[in-house]
Amino acid sequence: MAKAIGIAPTRMELLKLRQRATLAQKGHDLLHEKMDALVIEFFEIVRKIGVVRTKTMQQLSSAYRSLSTCFAVQGTIETYQAAKEAKKGIEVDISTRHVMGILVPVIEAKPIERHALTRGYGVYLTSPVLDEASREFEKALGDLIKLAELEEGAREIALELEKTKRRVNALEYVILPSLKSMVKFISMRLDEMERENFSRLKRIKAMLEGRE
Amino acid sequence: MSFKIATIADAETAAGFALAGVQDVYIHERKEETLAKLDELLTSKDVGIVFITYRVAEELGFEFKRRIRTKKLLPVVLRIPDKTGWVPKVDELQEIIRRTVGAEIIVKGGS
Amino acid sequence: MSTDRIIQFELARLNAHLPEQRITLKDALSSSSPQVVAKDGSKHKFERVELEYLSKIVHADDWDKLRLPILIAVNPKLGRGAAEISGEVEVKVISQVLGKECRGQEIVIYRPEIAVVRAKLPTTTQYFFMVG
Repeated sequence: MAKAIGIAPTRMELLKLRQRATLAQKGHDLLHEKMDALVIEFFEIVRKIGVVRTKTMQQLSSAYRSLSTCFAVQGTIETYQAAKEAKKGIEVDISTRHVMGILVPVIEAKPIERHALTRGYGVYLTSPVLDEASREFEKALGDLIKLAELEEGAREIALELEKTKRRVNALEYVILPSLKSMVKFISMRLDEMERENFSRLKRIKAMLEGRE
Repeated sequence: MSFKIATIADAETAAGFALAGVQDVYIHERKEETLAKLDELLTSKDVGIVFITYRVAEELGFEFKRRIRTKKLLPVVLRIPDKTGWVPKVDELQEIIRRTVGAEIIVKGGS
Repeated sequence: MSTDRIIQFELARLNAHLPEQRITLKDALSSSSPQVVAKDGSKHKFERVELEYLSKIVHADDWDKLRLPILIAVNPKLGRGAAEISGEVEVKVISQVLGKECRGQEIVIYRPEIAVVRAKLPTTTQYFFMVG
């Protein structure tokens, strides 16, 4: 077998193989720990998503309802007009946070709650239903921004988790067993060669002694 | 760093977001044009979040999924329900959980 | 061997998220944007909520002794699912979070406890994988 894979059965090679096996074992153990740690992070973020999703969906529903009311009371054209004229400019601050080799977004909404006058859709068009709809959507936007941060984070963690899992499995089921069996084979072969050598030396010695 | 928010949706949803102050609202009409708009947003340096309705995302189909898989960290793309509340049968997050953990764990507050 | 290179690469990457220099709770509290810089140059911000919680459970005299982020040291020799916290003040913090009575320079905590700590202090704690 050693010949087939091109590794000479020498002590030097055995030493190198043992070092590689040690490295692979260390890599496996540490990556396994990393995997476990990522699972903890993943579950925590999924838990948070559950909470935020419920709240967000409720708020969104409320926002859509108030928008419908607005269409009904204020009129479709007027509502779209107000939407067109509404003061734009909502922004978010995005930074990053490190979670073990991956970057996860941290998103902060810049304060969104605006007043009727600063909403900008023409004071003469202002109406309570329009204000209500704007307010509800502003609130929904706040929740959605949080949800976006969490879901993106979950996706990144999941990707890294899958990658790490593949490495751990490759090490555990392919690389380590292969290295270990090569170590075993070469070790046995070396012992065999040593025994052959030993008995050959004995015969030579016997021959030499016989001559004398 | 500061970023803008963009929305791709039907007219009503877009109006709601515009009222809330979202800068970039795009009303979906035809698949090719919407995909072009999505590409523009995905490569823009100042868009931080893109909200897109489940309905529109579904209509864009595989082309949408592919872009999400290959995009950079920013902008973040979040699918949201429109006023009909329609969601696809398969929850993407649920799928990720199943693949990652290999178990059925239900995410509460399912949309 | 290329697998060796991949393993070395992954091991080097394990702690890439850790900061060059940690900062004390005192400095973090007085900073307008408390953060540390990771080895690869990226910034890691500390949540104010966590800093405020820490300021409440740590004696003011110890604020300049607590270095952030608190490291959750993972050493395979401890066995799977175990990690070590070092430092007198750090140990006090962790035992408060876990609701356990602990003293000393270091303690070992286990997976369910690690989960609790990470949930309570997500930006002020970090994993440290002991590769050496």
